Amino acid sequence: MNDLITNMPYLLNGFKVTIILSFYSIIFSLFLGVTFGVLRYFKIPFVSFFCACFIELTRSIPLILYIVFIHYTISPYLFNTYNFTSYLGIDSVEMQTALISLTLFTSAYIAEIVRSGMENIDRQQIWDAKSLGFSTFQTVRYIILPVVLAKSLPSWIAQFASLIKDTSLVSVIGLVELTRASEIISEITGKDFIIMFFTLFTYFIICFLLSNLAKYLNKKYNYMNI
Amino acid sequence: MYNVDFSILYKSLPQIIEGLTTTIYVCLISFIFAFILSSFITYFRVLKGIKFIENALACLVEFIRNTPLLLQIYVVFKLLPQVGLTFSPVLSGILALSLYQGVYFSEVMRSGIAQIKGEQKNAAYSLGFSSFETFIFIIFPQGLKNVISPLGSQIINLIKNSSLLSFIAVSDIFYISYQKIADDFRIIEYFTLCLILYTSLTGIVLIFTHILNFCLKVKFKEVSFA
Repeated sequence: MNDLITNMPYLLNGFKVTIILSFYSIIFSLFLGVTFGVLRYFKIPFVSFFCACFIELTRSIPLILYIVFIHYTISPYLFNTYNFTSYLGIDSVEMQTALISLTLFTSAYIAEIVRSGMENIDRQQIWDAKSLGFSTFQTVRYIILPVVLAKSLPSWIAQFASLIKDTSLVSVIGLVELTRASEIISEITGKDFIIMFFTLFTYFIICFLLSNLAKYLNKKYNYMNI
Repeated sequence: MYNVDFSILYKSLPQIIEGLTTTIYVCLISFIFAFILSSFITYFRVLKGIKFIENALACLVEFIRNTPLLLQIYVVFKLLPQVGLTFSPVLSGILALSLYQGVYFSEVMRSGIAQIKGEQKNAAYSLGFSSFETFIFIIFPQGLKNVISPLGSQIINLIKNSSLLSFIAVSDIFYISYQKIADDFRIIEYFTLCLILYTSLTGIVLIFTHILNFCLKVKFKEVSFA
């Protein structure tokens, strides 16, 4: 127990990295995923094909491969020269790599959720909106997306819970987040049990709360019958 | 300037084949273990009706679903030896992976079995089947038929998650390519190799699920007409 308390700052530092990464990835992947999903739904030549390729490729490879690929190919050329995310308080190259790869990876899954939600909506609604003089963008913004968002909120939240679990993989490029920090500490102190279980329970509490929120929302929206 | 040269893959063909064999072997064994484990979990949670075991299994399922797989692999690999259970990296990886995926399989199966009506169970009981026989012969096959597609996507998840075993030095295809990338910086070639191999492995599973779905649907139609 003493070892846990003395090494708590280090663990909390790792926890901070986990939280920052998952928070920003959630926000960015939300926008990117909705964009990809909508573009794939409206069958625009080339653009939809590109989106479909991106989504299917991303969904069929492991996240760890994705992170390593971006770490070796994109980040040496891009993030070493330009610092895109300095205004978010993220300045190391590894953090940017992790942020970008987690965002792209999750956005593919979000896009699938959005697309399947949109396909459940009656095409009649789109035609109705068109006949009332809405442009395509307005139709999506005011008619379709609110319903899709409300209906598939539980699966989005489940996806975000799994994103928080997936942040443990960024240690492959040398970032010290909660999992890696607890591994390092347990190797230094030799008190594996208490530290590993502390980490397990930290993840458990966050993800359990999120998945219960998803269950609650599922019940609520089923009841409301949107 | 980077010259893409795929002939580099020929030189390391033996290791690549070894890595691919390890991946397939790990996936197959974990799939079998996970399937058996998930059927037991489903049986005890759905049919047996012992309150204590049901609650304990529900806790286990929630705990494993809400913690990262990487941390579970570490726990199996590093904590179990301190209790006196020492496994090789491959075996501990298989254990962690099959536990994790078995829980996910059991959730999928439970949702499939929930669609089977209670009359079937009562009819089987009245015909003198024991609860285990009812599960094996009546409920389980019908429930499994309902969830072939979600089960297939969980098997794809298993294949993708098997790349995490490289963290404990199981020399699967990702580990081999990562080492080769570190050796000679042939990132594009090895990444393409990984991409093709993982995509084809998941594609095989996808095709199998489609074929199985199709066959079962045809059979079901014949029965309903007769």
